[in-house]
Amino acid sequence: MKRYFFYSITLGFAWCFVHGVINLNNFLIGMLLGPIIIRPFKTFYNFDEQLSYTNTIRRIPKQIKFLSILLIEIIKASVFVAKIILRPNLDLKPGIIAVPIRAKTDAGITAIANTITLTPGTLTIDVSDDKSTLYVHAIDLSDPKAVSESIRDDLEEYVLEAFE
Amino acid sequence: MNSLLLNISLVFMVLSLIPCLYRIIKGPTIPDRVVAIDAMTTVIIVMLGVYSLLQNSVFFMDVALVLAIISFVGTVTISKYLDEGAVF
Amino acid sequence: MGSILDILSNIFLMIGIFFVFLGMLGLLRLPDIFNRLHATTKIGTIGAFGVMIAIVLKVGFTPMGIKAITVGLFLLLTAPVAAHMIARAAHRHGVGLCKESIIDEYGKTYK
Repeated sequence: MKRYFFYSITLGFAWCFVHGVINLNNFLIGMLLGPIIIRPFKTFYNFDEQLSYTNTIRRIPKQIKFLSILLIEIIKASVFVAKIILRPNLDLKPGIIAVPIRAKTDAGITAIANTITLTPGTLTIDVSDDKSTLYVHAIDLSDPKAVSESIRDDLEEYVLEAFE
Repeated sequence: MNSLLLNISLVFMVLSLIPCLYRIIKGPTIPDRVVAIDAMTTVIIVMLGVYSLLQNSVFFMDVALVLAIISFVGTVTISKYLDEGAVF
Repeated sequence: MGSILDILSNIFLMIGIFFVFLGMLGLLRLPDIFNRLHATTKIGTIGAFGVMIAIVLKVGFTPMGIKAITVGLFLLLTAPVAAHMIARAAHRHGVGLCKESIIDEYGKTYK
């Protein structure tokens, strides 16, 4: 029941943004339509584990901090790849490495995979079957140790704080 | 001044459609073509945004939103088909 | 007041257009599909997001601006997922890495 409520609030905001006018009317319409949308896709959501209001609200500042760090990393990543593209002769050393991760929940793994894709020179390809290793393609792999260490130390800390 | 800048950006976007078309026609493998179509959709979304600003009309923005959704669903569908041989 | 926002919006528009153009240039120049995905996913998405921010700065929170924010956020959320799906499908479909590649730790896990 709590999950229906949370997802309805999210869908209400989504409806406001798609409609183009943010006011209480649109928000309420979206929120009332929410459960009808959620019901057929119930298997996609994780309805088993319990969810508490305080826990969800307590994480919001950490998630905002994570998003701000993500934005800075994205801008750095774009400049990094743009420099590579503008080189006169492409002297690349690409390759795929396995990176062990500590995140356990599905939301945490999704968040860290998307974060890796948007940060400098790395692209997630797959997650292993036991959900303990990510396979990452890096565009400049002259030092494989440094790539996996920068993922583990810089990014994963914030993801663990915000989503676990 | 302002509409001149918008027109120049539209010209630049048309120019950046050319590499996508080259990749779609020439691309050695099927995934290359899928990536090129995805990139082409991004360019067309940017064009629709700029054109909506130029015409001062909100309807092109709706088209951009629908195009973004269709492009995402299409890419996921084709990659599932390539991967497993079936979509569902 | 308005003119500062206009100038900022023009700067964002130029940066966004330049980044999208660079992304498509990368699609042309880079050697294999994984490197091309680097170009289109990161640079193309951030360029489109910059153009959408430029539109918001120009028109404010009118319906057009709010829809521009929606399009930008949607692109930013879905581009990594699409890139991951197509890279995995390409690797399993048998598209090899380019010959400059130095290591492939994924290839031996699923055969």
